[in-house]
Amino acid sequence: MQFNTRILAHKFEYLAPKTLTEALDLLSKYQDKNIKVLAGGTDLLVKMKTIAMNVDYLMNIKDIPELNFIDTAEGLIIGATIPLTYLLREDKVRTEYTALYEGIQSIAAPAIRNMATVAGNIGNASPAADTVPPLIAFGAKVIIESKQSKRTALLEELFTGPGKTILNPDELISRIEVPEVKSNTGSAFLKNSRVKADLAKINIAVSLQRNGQNCENCKIVFGAVAATAVRARKTEKLLEGHIITEELITQTAKEVSSEIKPINDIRSTAEYRILMSREMLCDALKLAWARTNSKNLFDSQDGGE
Amino acid sequence: MEVSDTLKKIPIKFTINGQQKEVYVQSNDLLINLLKDELYLTGTKYGCGIGECGACTVFLNDEPVLACLTLAATVDGKEITTIEGLAKGNELHPMQVAFLKNAAVQCGFCTPGMILTAIALLKENPDPTEEEIRDYMRGNICRCTGYTQIIKAIKECASNQRS
Amino acid sequence: MSKFKIIGQPIPRYDARSKVTGSLKYADDFSLPGMLYGKVLRSIYPAAEIISIDTTAAKQLEGVHAVLTAKDVPHNETVTRFGQSTEVGKGFEGLYRVLADKKVRFMGEAVALVAAETEEIAEQALDVIKVDYKPLPGVFDPIEAMKPDAYLVGENNSNIIGEFGCAQGDVEKGFAEADIIIEDTYKVTFQDHAFMEPESGIGWIDDYGVLCLRVSSQVIEHFRDVADVLGIPHNKVRYIGTLMGGGFGGKEDITVESYLALLTWYTKKPVRLVYNRDETLMCHSKRHPFVMHYKVGAKKDGKLVALGAYLISDSGGYPYLSPWVTLYATVNAAGPYVIPNVKVKANCVLTNNTFTSANRGFGSPQPNVAYESIMDELAHKLNIDPLEIRRRNCLTTGKALSTTGQVFNTHVALPEAAEKAWEALGKPVISKDANIKIGQGLAIGLMSYGRMTFLHDTSRSYVKLESDGSVLIRSGIPDLGGGQISLLCQIAAEELGVPMSKIRIYHSDTALTPLAGTTTATRQCYMSGNATLKAAREVRSRILKKAAEILNVNQDNLDIIEGNVVVTYDPSQYIPLGKVIRACDGAGIELFCEAQFNAPFTSVPDLSNMRGTTFPDFTFGSQAAEVAVDLETGQVKVTKIVTCYDIGKALNMAAVEGQMEGGSIYGMGYALFENYELEKGFPKTLSFAEYRIPSSLDVPVVKTIVLESGGGLGPYGAKGIGEPACSIITPAILNAIYNAVGVRIKNLPVTPDKILKALKEKSL
Repeated sequence: MQFNTRILAHKFEYLAPKTLTEALDLLSKYQDKNIKVLAGGTDLLVKMKTIAMNVDYLMNIKDIPELNFIDTAEGLIIGATIPLTYLLREDKVRTEYTALYEGIQSIAAPAIRNMATVAGNIGNASPAADTVPPLIAFGAKVIIESKQSKRTALLEELFTGPGKTILNPDELISRIEVPEVKSNTGSAFLKNSRVKADLAKINIAVSLQRNGQNCENCKIVFGAVAATAVRARKTEKLLEGHIITEELITQTAKEVSSEIKPINDIRSTAEYRILMSREMLCDALKLAWARTNSKNLFDSQDGGE
Repeated sequence: MEVSDTLKKIPIKFTINGQQKEVYVQSNDLLINLLKDELYLTGTKYGCGIGECGACTVFLNDEPVLACLTLAATVDGKEITTIEGLAKGNELHPMQVAFLKNAAVQCGFCTPGMILTAIALLKENPDPTEEEIRDYMRGNICRCTGYTQIIKAIKECASNQRS
Repeated sequence: MSKFKIIGQPIPRYDARSKVTGSLKYADDFSLPGMLYGKVLRSIYPAAEIISIDTTAAKQLEGVHAVLTAKDVPHNETVTRFGQSTEVGKGFEGLYRVLADKKVRFMGEAVALVAAETEEIAEQALDVIKVDYKPLPGVFDPIEAMKPDAYLVGENNSNIIGEFGCAQGDVEKGFAEADIIIEDTYKVTFQDHAFMEPESGIGWIDDYGVLCLRVSSQVIEHFRDVADVLGIPHNKVRYIGTLMGGGFGGKEDITVESYLALLTWYTKKPVRLVYNRDETLMCHSKRHPFVMHYKVGAKKDGKLVALGAYLISDSGGYPYLSPWVTLYATVNAAGPYVIPNVKVKANCVLTNNTFTSANRGFGSPQPNVAYESIMDELAHKLNIDPLEIRRRNCLTTGKALSTTGQVFNTHVALPEAAEKAWEALGKPVISKDANIKIGQGLAIGLMSYGRMTFLHDTSRSYVKLESDGSVLIRSGIPDLGGGQISLLCQIAAEELGVPMSKIRIYHSDTALTPLAGTTTATRQCYMSGNATLKAAREVRSRILKKAAEILNVNQDNLDIIEGNVVVTYDPSQYIPLGKVIRACDGAGIELFCEAQFNAPFTSVPDLSNMRGTTFPDFTFGSQAAEVAVDLETGQVKVTKIVTCYDIGKALNMAAVEGQMEGGSIYGMGYALFENYELEKGFPKTLSFAEYRIPSSLDVPVVKTIVLESGGGLGPYGAKGIGEPACSIITPAILNAIYNAVGVRIKNLPVTPDKILKALKEKSL
């Protein structure tokens, strides 16, 4: 089958609900009829243009005001349809959820970020998604709603495989809730790609808390090196409660390859990804650690890529 | 496939380069084709269709977006500015002038997208460093110029705007 | 003070304003009422037999106006001459098959055509055309394809479609005398042109039954091939070239024209056909991959004594320009070096990969990668500075090319270009990170401008002075974004003493503009520039002759300045240009001229040993690069690029620098990022997400140094720059990487994992 990226070759019914209730009603009504949710379109429309995808109903949720918000009163709550660019403009994201800020910054280009959403990045469930490792590292939860139910899932439990989530056909992500960052937390996100605007060959987010000289609440999350984003739990345990030193970091890096399962693809080889996982873990840990004592991203510009 | 109303045209009302327009579109029409084939605003270009090259950049409510990944139906109630909407009569926008003066245009295919994105950059960051310019423009691919003159043009426009 | 008024000025180009306002209509921007949309059905196998094609369902779809296959094409096979009329022998003719017939030879080969009322319906029609394929084994490696029992791609009994050679002296004797010998194999891969504007065009039939095509193309002379395909007289096809959104050699072959012609001719309606990006990545020509075996011998002092090279290029599924590219590679194989003993042999071989053809550089970048890496290696092994070793060996004015023996009577700016480039690179930056290593690399090179002289190339241009002193130029010259049409305007403006604002050019129309030949081979400044110069000078001389009569002075003391004919030694004596024009008019003196410029004509060389002049002239240059290599990630960041060429005379400095800057990045992408990959003939990189070209954030500022020796054959002593600009940087980057981390990658592109692998092997 040939594809033509100039057009959307197949017709579908276009739905544009104005409230969340209306949207969930429609999802329920058409759940067996190939309905897809359209937020930014930067993943969905590309898919519709390039792979054989059955979409009979396309529901645009961007006209729903109650989904278009960022709430920073307590923690960080991200509405389903707020474009990524708005997160970059929030001081709190930049200073306290630094890994998320860096993850978003690394995505594509401004025009894409003006359209794309976090919920979309999550829902698309690419193993290489750049917002996912930071959000998992911050312990994000996803609010999933349908006409008859509302449930919460830990982001790290959302993915079941490349492009697959636990969402049912009648459900959508209405918001992402990220808990307040504890004091003395530092975080970092790194990405290795062919050119700067590319998808990741491998990306990593690290968040950890400093307690004196000890590392606590260490979260290490890799993307693009397994079927889904993966928490390197064994590696985290090796660091948890310990004094962070150069040797410990190097030591730990050796263990990390056992926690990831990268493949060969157009962007890189499995072997290279395994090598990079060690390097990037070292760099990300050092960077995050250096940031644990300051709230300002720009106080600790060292190491990294 | 049970799609009952797909041939029904969807009415949309929007402002394009300052002018009000009301048209009917199909569900699967893309903004880029609405602009080029219905409104004959051909300055917006198809380069890749998947959001990787930036040649189809337009302003939607003043923010740059990609027309190849925007459904026409979703621009209802919004304001669109294309490259054709920048000049005021014969008076070019300062960014257009800067591109002309700095030989930042060779084949010109990436130029509309480049100019619009550069204008958005200076709105967000009136005094960007070279690195910041290159970073912001990284979604606009040029195959001809190697970017040197484009960066120069943007820098010159920025410094003109500040003085 | 420059003696030129407009030549040499960095003036804005003729077409620049329409590009910044978005008003310029590229090929895809033009529409006609009742227009249909054309689409091409492409093969899904790289090698297969076509058992049958059933188009019934497609034809029955509402809104479909035509479904065509090979049997509907009056002359499905033509042999295209690529824009020249001279007979050059069977080895150079490009078999051009419009639609696949009985057998497909590469993935994406055109199998059927559709014209429908919307693009959507056209896509639906493609979906329901039933093609019964029988996949065949195919062959995907040129070395395999050369074996006697290899799968035969074409209809001949061998996949080898070209063999070329050059020799001088005695290489065996040379190697015996050498103090050091380096033997190595370098591999370079496919590169896509990745012009931002995909192939596009529109066709219609005018009121007189003439087929009109408006296409983004580098060669409007294709009108003849299109007419032959349809079986109609050549004067019933009008081919209009648009200002292109990039060409780079990818719009040199016939792309959409024949399909448009067939669909338009069949439906009698206007038809638009535009390739989508994945389609153009899959089905249009690519740069030739080469496997290059080199053996180079030198003395202790670095003086080269012998060079042997065997080059094998992958021609893909059809010949197209493969023999020509391979010929170029053969001629360029020994680089700009004086080497007494040389033996080069080259073959081009058919495979079932995507067909390969012209790509900026046309066979000169590939050997440049090999010989400049080897020169660098020699320099290291002999402990000689990289600039010095090139000084000791490079060509200079009056010397001869080591492959063909062509003597350079025009200026050779070596080692000067290398000295300037190397100096401008400056001291290497000091790395603050122990894991980031900085390195610098140098390379020199050459590339011809003007087509091969045995093609007997010509160009024509028409210049007219209107009665109000404005100027009209007509030239068939296609403009691919390099400023081709603007250049001709500048020349006319200079000669006729009028500002650019008073010049109008009509271009690229076979019905209305004299044919100027192809915009390829870096030939337009040289050929059409000279033709325009000739025409403009003729008109000028008639004006000056008449003015001399009126003013009663010697013609040699007159100049045209700002709308007046002025006595140069006494500017108070002048006569307005308008008055002279009227006087000429009254005297029946024509103030227009169509001039033809001929390149030197030679005969077809003995292809097994090509000696003598094969090109009018060459452009010489040098590029230098600084890189920062990350030992941990293997990533290479190019931090500085300096490019230095002798352009002879820069007719528009901004345009020249633009070519040099853009060319450097084109070559940088070739070195580090671009990899058009195929797996058993199936292309894997079919979008810009997979085939990555550098963005603004991936590249440094390019520093340009323009040398103007005045020693070129173009107007005012100019040389060509379009293609020379893009080679040389590639080995400069490779040499910089070696300088940084001590590994030499011999297989492009240089990806981080190749560097890490090489580092690991080095430490063992």
